[in-house]
Amino acid sequence: MRIGSLSLSYVARKLGWAALTLFFVLTVNFFLFRVMPGDPVALLARSQRLTPEAVAEQKALYGLDQPMLQQFLTYLWQTLTGHLGSSLVSGQPVTRVIGGRVWPTVLLVGTGTTLAILVGVLAGIRAGWFRGTRFDRGSLYGSMLLYSTPEGWLGMLLLIVFAGSLAWFPSGGLSSGGETGLGSVTDVLSHLALPVATLALSYVGQFLIVMRSSMLDVKDEDFVTVGRAVGLPDRLVRRRLVVPNAILPSFTLIVLSFGFVLGGAIVIETVYSWPGIGQLTYRAIESQDYPVLQAVFLLTSAAVIVANLVADIAYGFLDPRIEEV
Amino acid sequence: MSADATTPELAPSPRHFARRRRKDAFIRYWAIFRHSRQAMAGLVILVVISAVALVAPLIVNPEDLDPATAPGLPVEPPSSQWWLGTDNFGRPVLQLLLVGSRVSLIVGIAASIGAVFIGATIGMAAGYYGGTKIDKVLNALIDWFLVIPWLVLAIALAAILGPSLVVIIAVIAVTSWPLTARLVRAQTLSVRKRPYVERGRVLGASDLTIIRRHVLPNVFPVIFANTVLTVAIAILSETTLSILGLGDPNSISWGRIIEEAFSGGALVNGYWWWILPPGVCIVVVTLAFTMCGYALDEVFNPNLRKR
Amino acid sequence: MTARTWPKTAAAGFALAALGASLVALPPAARAADTGVLKVAVGSEIANPNIWAVNSVSEWEAITMEYDLLMGFSPEDLTAAPGLAESCEPSNDNRTWTCTLREGMKWSDGEPITSADVAFSYQLVVDQGFGYFKTYIPKGTTFDTPDDLTLVWNTPEPSNAPMVPPWVYIVPEHVWGQYADLAKKDLRAVDVVPVVGSGPYVMTEAVDGQRWTFERNPNYWGTPPAYDSVEFVYFDNQQAMVQALRSGEVDVIDGVDAALLPALERESNITVQKVVPDCWNNMAFNFGGQGPDATPLPALQDVEVRKAIEMAIDKQAIVDKVYPNAAEPGETVVRPLATFWHLDIPDDQLIPYDPAAANTMLDDAGYARGPDGVRVDPATGEPLVIRMPTSNDTAGSEASGRLIAGFLKQVGITVKVQPVTAGKMYGLQQAGDFDAYIWYWCGDPDPNYQLSVFSSSQAGVDGDYHLSDGNWEDPTYDALYEKQRTILDPQERQKVVFEAQQYIYDQVPVIVLVYPNTIQAYRNDRVADLTPIPSPNGYITPNYSYLPFLDATPASTTSTGGSSGSDTGLPVWIWGVVALVVIGGFAFYFVRRRGAEDTEEG
Repeated sequence: MRIGSLSLSYVARKLGWAALTLFFVLTVNFFLFRVMPGDPVALLARSQRLTPEAVAEQKALYGLDQPMLQQFLTYLWQTLTGHLGSSLVSGQPVTRVIGGRVWPTVLLVGTGTTLAILVGVLAGIRAGWFRGTRFDRGSLYGSMLLYSTPEGWLGMLLLIVFAGSLAWFPSGGLSSGGETGLGSVTDVLSHLALPVATLALSYVGQFLIVMRSSMLDVKDEDFVTVGRAVGLPDRLVRRRLVVPNAILPSFTLIVLSFGFVLGGAIVIETVYSWPGIGQLTYRAIESQDYPVLQAVFLLTSAAVIVANLVADIAYGFLDPRIEEV
Repeated sequence: MSADATTPELAPSPRHFARRRRKDAFIRYWAIFRHSRQAMAGLVILVVISAVALVAPLIVNPEDLDPATAPGLPVEPPSSQWWLGTDNFGRPVLQLLLVGSRVSLIVGIAASIGAVFIGATIGMAAGYYGGTKIDKVLNALIDWFLVIPWLVLAIALAAILGPSLVVIIAVIAVTSWPLTARLVRAQTLSVRKRPYVERGRVLGASDLTIIRRHVLPNVFPVIFANTVLTVAIAILSETTLSILGLGDPNSISWGRIIEEAFSGGALVNGYWWWILPPGVCIVVVTLAFTMCGYALDEVFNPNLRKR
Repeated sequence: MTARTWPKTAAAGFALAALGASLVALPPAARAADTGVLKVAVGSEIANPNIWAVNSVSEWEAITMEYDLLMGFSPEDLTAAPGLAESCEPSNDNRTWTCTLREGMKWSDGEPITSADVAFSYQLVVDQGFGYFKTYIPKGTTFDTPDDLTLVWNTPEPSNAPMVPPWVYIVPEHVWGQYADLAKKDLRAVDVVPVVGSGPYVMTEAVDGQRWTFERNPNYWGTPPAYDSVEFVYFDNQQAMVQALRSGEVDVIDGVDAALLPALERESNITVQKVVPDCWNNMAFNFGGQGPDATPLPALQDVEVRKAIEMAIDKQAIVDKVYPNAAEPGETVVRPLATFWHLDIPDDQLIPYDPAAANTMLDDAGYARGPDGVRVDPATGEPLVIRMPTSNDTAGSEASGRLIAGFLKQVGITVKVQPVTAGKMYGLQQAGDFDAYIWYWCGDPDPNYQLSVFSSSQAGVDGDYHLSDGNWEDPTYDALYEKQRTILDPQERQKVVFEAQQYIYDQVPVIVLVYPNTIQAYRNDRVADLTPIPSPNGYITPNYSYLPFLDATPASTTSTGGSSGSDTGLPVWIWGVVALVVIGGFAFYFVRRRGAEDTEEG
């Protein structure tokens, strides 16, 4: 049976693959945060200065007195049933702690990634098509330069120039509070401007470079030469033949990038005090809040896995040849 | 894109012949490389920085770098005495940069070699046994590591194992190999199907021999170009970890200088001489590695070159 | 999109982006001074507003605003002052204390505040064993509530517990009573917003990781505060916090590192409050006995070596380089904020900074230098190499550690600095897995807690959660500690407390490196009358009491209300341009060269 040009078995295979990957992530998660540093509860307990009773409580909660396999199964079961535990710092359920962070991160990293993709892909198409022109050189070296700039350092510079000396933008956070209606929208936008700019500048290079190089690849393919030979106008060749084919390799990268959105941007969120997942991750590492870390790790990986799945299936639609592999 | 780097050979050549062939190839590649202004600019930068890193211990007085015996006053602006001013301990920033180049380069190169070693081994194995169970397992491993949020993993490892140079190198290597593995696997797959490899197998050469004689030499250019590109990633990763306070506290790297300047209030206090130069150094060196890497890619990949 | 329209589309896109940017680039600083909101930038989150989960500085400040103490702290010297109770009177044998509450007080939800609330709160703290609070209530104390306004303490031993005063906030029984039997973990998970409290402000809204709003409590029993609400704004990045104060996004900042002091001090409309040191940073030595991982360095058991180390450390240099203008060199273990209890050792009796003398001492004690210049312990033949973790929750600890490494190198001792997270540090401390470390202590106004951590009763083995830094045990000290505990007369007790401090100073189980000031600041053109507690050099945020925010008023509006006024920003601005020019120039070089090349080729 086929959906469009796609067989069900292909979709099923990809789904199974995603499930398997998720299982792997769960395993890594388990071992990374539990098995590595000796007695994890001791570490947790110490960092939070818990009393001996509380330690026993924690041990029972994690079932750490049981054999490893048992523990692993318990962990799997608890995770699958949505029991992610409580933050060791605040004592609140991890789901709630993370829940409040998702939206700010989606707003920041989502916007930044979208901007980077738009500019990167469009400029990459142009650069690839007009290879060797000033635009091509400029955007290619510009991309390499941005790609080579540490994002944290770039963020610091933008912060001090545009929030400090020029005072055009606020220095951090997501909003000033106390605004309503349109005022609150522009307020959030003004808080968003600098971190989004930093993010977009840091990411734009890779999209441009990938898009440019796949334009170059496709430009020389036979069907393009044929198209030209039969006298198709240049712009039609580009629009109808080259771009649609050249965008395919970038497509996976684009979809995957959106998968990485949920992971947040640890460095940028830290520099700009942005209340997202990245900042939460960093704080959780500092305070060794392992339940939160595990959940973030899981969420982030799951988002990428789903994005990967979407990319694979969509790719199958777009390019039926993929099934042969 | 197909990536036939070398012309197919008709028969396995005797060793001396192979050596000569490789030498010829090197000369040919070098000629192309030299022609690229971008590549040469990158190379010149790298040579200069490497030279600086090598001689740094000879020209920098270690007492100048010891917080207790620093020669200057805290955060002096640039002057004729201290060209790039001093940090909060009164250590000259220029000297810090000179010495810092060593750690940044060592971490970058060592981590990159580590990553590429892991990536190339897994990639070649997967590619060579393409389509078999081994390939499937290894490919799965590559996919799995690609989806793991690398920075979280790196931070967690660095936090658990404690920050030291070895840990940082290992962490960066462990988190940046999958892309290399993917590239090498693709390249190996294409080499494997070449007639002389098939013939070697029919004639009963062992897998290891075939990999060593035929696969590795053909995949090596890809590996090499990739190593150079990965250095750039590794240097940036070291910077990121350092900015997050997970750098090796007992050594001076450019990333560490940024972090110290940042926590020393360089931004709001206007100590530009402290925070600006290390960032510029990182940009320049990363850019140099990136430019060389892309140029090498073009050199080894005729498809890219002819454009 | 065609070849021709392509650039136009792109251009339009960029133009749109630019337009958007300029739209949102409206000056954020245009916040009027008299909006009725006091905005406070805080450096830690309120991860959970629940009082029983208090953990961070801002969480502490929040509950201090929301709740009262039975007896509070006087703004002059932090001795007991009327809180919910007007007074507490002892019986002749000091075993029974009777406290009388003010009349007519109400919780923010309108319910009356009674002595039953007080008894309930104390009992809850004792039953649940909340670490922060329980030490204030002597073991075996029972409480009686003969009427709504009277609370009676019955302590088994003579005690002055109500006058310490007990730092236990009083919570409403009608809110918490239903949860009293929950496990501690579940009690901490109770959702408390909007908070029911007795203080001048109570939290009404929490936006996780961003902002917390405290509205004026309509039923507050004292004079109502001037501001309608107080808002805590969280900043991860202290430099952004300073920037926000400069631009007027916030009115007060609750604490930044000493390194940022210059940026604050050069603004005329910012007043800096250097809070008299409430904490001290120490270099503690390990004496072992915690368990199998406890591997103390034998040489450090020698008091002569510890003294020589103290002599070799230039504390003034640590202040100058790590805490410029924001700390004092450390002396004794009771910090200066506790003015009455702090022993100020005369300068001529301090252990001096004298590396030459330290070298001589070590030579005389038989620690000869090895071929590499590092001294060797004659008893074990091992070189003097000190593993010294520094805790990252202690500002400047790593930098101090590296300075100390430099100083001790001069006297032939190697120090290996190893920064760790506070959690890891706790593990190392419990297991005794260090030779020396740098961490901090903050204490109560009363010296008992601070002195207790040096007593043998706080030494322990791994896993028992002991407080002692390095398991130092000394019967002479224990006797002094126990003695001061039992003396109720302050003057008499002060003598023994001084003696105990002097004894620790002489025995050097820890070196008190510095007393760092907490750096707070506010915009003097926006807010006035932030009464410090203790005055005049205390906190301007609710740390000991909500007094600073109770008294705060909007500054008289003679100010122009103008924005940042960054007369100081010039050099910063210039170096921003420098950065762009350097990077841009680099790019242009290549573009131009390649452009020229193309032309040649073409």
